[in-house]
Amino acid sequence: MNAITPREPLDLDAMPDEAFRLHIRAWIEENYPPELRNPPKRLHWEENKVWYLKLAEKGWLCPGWPREYGGLGLSPAKQIIFTEELERWGCARCNDHGIIMLGPLVIRYGTEEQKQRFLPKILTGEHIWCQGYSEPNSGSDLASLRTEAVDMGDHYLVNGQKIWTTLAQDANWIFLLVRTDKTAKKQEGISFLLADMTSPGITVRPIVNLEMHDEFCEVFLDNVKVPKENLVGQLNKGWDMAKALLSFERIYLGSPRQSAYALARLRQLAEKMGVADDPLFAERYARHRADLEDLKALYARYVAVLKQGRPLGADVSQLKVIQSELFQRITETALEVAGENAALFGPMEGNRHLNPGALYIQARPTSIYGGTNEIQRNILAKNVLELP
Amino acid sequence: MSAAGIAPFDEERLESISMIRDSARGLLGADLARVRALRFTEPGFDPAKLAEMGQAGWIGLAVPEQAGGAGLGMGEAVALAEELGRALAPEPVIPLMLSAHLLAAAGEETVLPLVLAGEAVALTAWQDRANTLEPAASADGARRFVPMGAGASHFLWPVREGGRVALHLLVRDMTEVTNETTQDGGHLSTVRPEPFVGHGPGSHIADDIGEALAEGLDRAALLTAAALLGGMEAAFAMTLDYLRTRQQFGRVIGSFQALQHKAADAKMQVALTRAAVEQAAAALDAGATGDAARALVSRAKARASEAGMLVQQACLQLHGGIGYTDQYDVGLYLRRAMVLAPAFGGAALHRRRFHALTPETEDA
Ligand SMILES: Cc1cc2nc3c(=O)[nH]c(=O)nc-3n(C[C@H](O)[C@H](O)[C@H](O)COP(=O)(O)OP(=O)(O)OC[C@H]3O[C@@H](n4cnc5c(N)ncnc54)[C@H](O)[C@@H]3O)c2cc1C
Repeated sequence: MNAITPREPLDLDAMPDEAFRLHIRAWIEENYPPELRNPPKRLHWEENKVWYLKLAEKGWLCPGWPREYGGLGLSPAKQIIFTEELERWGCARCNDHGIIMLGPLVIRYGTEEQKQRFLPKILTGEHIWCQGYSEPNSGSDLASLRTEAVDMGDHYLVNGQKIWTTLAQDANWIFLLVRTDKTAKKQEGISFLLADMTSPGITVRPIVNLEMHDEFCEVFLDNVKVPKENLVGQLNKGWDMAKALLSFERIYLGSPRQSAYALARLRQLAEKMGVADDPLFAERYARHRADLEDLKALYARYVAVLKQGRPLGADVSQLKVIQSELFQRITETALEVAGENAALFGPMEGNRHLNPGALYIQARPTSIYGGTNEIQRNILAKNVLELP
Repeated sequence: MSAAGIAPFDEERLESISMIRDSARGLLGADLARVRALRFTEPGFDPAKLAEMGQAGWIGLAVPEQAGGAGLGMGEAVALAEELGRALAPEPVIPLMLSAHLLAAAGEETVLPLVLAGEAVALTAWQDRANTLEPAASADGARRFVPMGAGASHFLWPVREGGRVALHLLVRDMTEVTNETTQDGGHLSTVRPEPFVGHGPGSHIADDIGEALAEGLDRAALLTAAALLGGMEAAFAMTLDYLRTRQQFGRVIGSFQALQHKAADAKMQVALTRAAVEQAAAALDAGATGDAARALVSRAKARASEAGMLVQQACLQLHGGIGYTDQYDVGLYLRRAMVLAPAFGGAALHRRRFHALTPETEDA
C-alpha cells in the first residue's frame, strides 16, 4: 500500500495526556497568528490560510486521521485535548469540511486511487471543500433532494441547486448528495459525488446571514460534467454513507466548546457590568456552570464509546440539542446583563470579548444546522425511545 | 390577528384608536424596502418621513392641546407605537414623544412646536449607564444610549440638582456625538457636552421636571412595549404563513405537532403582552398615577421585553435556515427586538420594580 508519509515524525498518541497537552499548547502559543485570536466571525480562506498552512506544514492539520494517511492518528481523547488547546488560545476555525467530513469519508469508503488523489491535497491546503447537501426544498427532509446526476457513459451530468453551503465561495471542491435513481425509494436513489468547483456550469452566490456576513451560499449546478471516478462508494448508496458521517457531525456539534466559550464571555461581561456578585446573577451563572459540567460529563461518555472503537448510537442526537440550547441560554443571560449594550452590533468599547449581541445572534443557528433540534427530538422519540 | 378577548376601552375610544391605527398604516405602508435602505446609514431615518409623521400629529399625540398636541390618551399612543413596531419604522418617534412631553411640562414654546412638527429632532439624553431609569448623576459627564443621535438637532439634558431635576437644552453644536451601530442597523449615541460654566450645559429651561421625566420615561417604556408587541405580531403572522406553506416530508410543516405547540406558545405570549400593555394604557388614561401606574407600566414592559425575545426566537427557529438570512424579513424583527427589549428598562429591571411597587396582600 502506498502510504502517505506523515509529516509529524513523533507518535504523539503515545505521549501521556498532560505532556501531550503542554506540547500542543507550547507550539500553538508560539505559532498562532496573534491577530487572528478569537475572531468575531467565521474567517474566510484568505484570512485563515496562514494558520491552515502552518498546521499543514507541522503535520497537525488532521489530528483524527490515521497516520498512514498523513494524520496524527490521535485517539478521540487526545483529539479532544487538541481541540481544547486550540480553543483555549482562541484559534479560528479553519475551512475544515475536508478535514472533518470529506477526509474521514474517503478514508472509510473511498478507493485506494481516491485516497491518493484527494487526501494529500487536503493536507496541503490545495483542496478546500464544502458540503453540498441541503437544497431549497430539501432541508430537514434531506432525502427528498432533487439535484440530479445522469449517467452519460463516461461522466455524470449534474443539474440542480444546493443552498446554505457554508463557505462555498472559498472552496474549490464540493461533496454532493445527488439523485441517481428517480424510481427507487427516496433514500435509495442517492449517491455521493465529488465535484471540482471550477467545472463549467457551477455558479456560487453568497448569502448574507444575520451577522451581516457572507458565510453561506447558494450553489447552482447547470449541466456540470463530473467524471465517473468521482463517485464515492457504491452507486445509490450515498445516503447510508452520509448518515454515518452525521453521527460524527453530531458529536462535533455536541462538543461543549461553544457553551464554554460563551460562559467565559458571560463572566467577563458580568464583571464589566458590575453584577458578578449580584445574588440573582450568581444563581443564574451557577446554573449555567453546572449545566456545562453536566454536558461535559455526558460528552465524555460518548467520547469513551468512540475510544473503544464502537459506533455511536442514534442517541448522540441529545448531545447536539443539549449543547446548542445551553449555548443559546447563556447568550440570552448575557443579553439581559448587558442591558442597552445588548443592542450593539459591534463590541462594547472596542473589546471584542464583550459583544453580547453578536454572540446571541451566532448562537441562533446552532439549533438549525446539522439537523434542526426538532428533527433531533424526533430521532430521540422515535429511534431511541421507540415511541409509536 | 385576532383581538385576544376584549380590549379595556369603551366604544368611543376604540373608534379613535382604530382611526389612529389606520392612519398609521397608511403613512407607514407595508413595504420594508424603505426600512432596509435606511439601515446602516446616517442619520438612519428619513427626515422627510419624520416631518410627515409630525404633521400627522404623532409626536404630539399625547401632548395636551394647549401645548400644541392632539391631547389624545395612551390608548391611542400605544396603538400608534404598535404600528411603528410592526412597520419597523426607524424614525425616533417614541424618543421624540418623550422630549415633547418634557418640553410641554417645561412650558417651552420655541423648540416644542418644531419637535411636534417633526422638524427639530430634540432627543432626551437622560442616562449615563445601562440598566437604569434614573437620570444621570452628573451634569457634565457623557450621556449614553441616545437612540439615533446622528440625526439630532438638539439634546434635552436633565441635570440633577439636590432633590430636583432641572432641564437644559443644548443645540447639537454644543456637543460631541459618537454613534455605535445597533443590530437593527440604527445606532445608539454617546453625547458629551462642551465644557461650560455654571450649573449645566446649554440653556436652562426649567427648574424641576423630575416628575415629568419619571412620567415621560414610564410612557416611553410603555410605548416601547407596544412597539415590541407590533413587531411580535408581524413576525408571528409571517411565521404562521410560512408554517402553512413550507413543505417538508410531503406535508406542510405547520402540520407537525412539535411546531404547532411552539406556535401556540408564541401566541400565548402575544396575548399576555397585549393584555398587559392595554391594561396599563387604559389605567393611565383613567387617571392612575404614582406607584400603581408605575407598577402597571413595569409589568407591561417586563412582559413585552421578555415575550418579544421569546417570540422572535421561536419565529426564527420555525423558519429553519432561511430565517438566518439578512434578505428574509423575519430576522429584521428579531434584531429590532434586541434594541427595544432593553430600551427604557429591560425585563429584569421592570419585574423588580413591579414587585417593589406593589405590596402583596396578606390573605390566601
Ligand atoms: C448557519 C448554517 C450553516 C449551514 N451549512 C450547511 C452546509 O454547509 N451544507 C449543507 O448542506 N447545509 C447547511 N445548512 C443547512 C441546514 O442543514 C438546514 O438549514 C437544516 O437542515 C434545516 O433545513 P431547512 O433550512 O430547509 O428548514 P426546514 O426543514 O424547512 O425547517 C423549517 C422548520 O420546520 C421544522 N421541521 C421540519 N420537519 C419537521 C418535522 N418532521 N417535525 C418537526 N419539525 C420539523 C424544522 O425544525 C424548522 O423549525 C446550514 C444551515 C445554517 C443555518
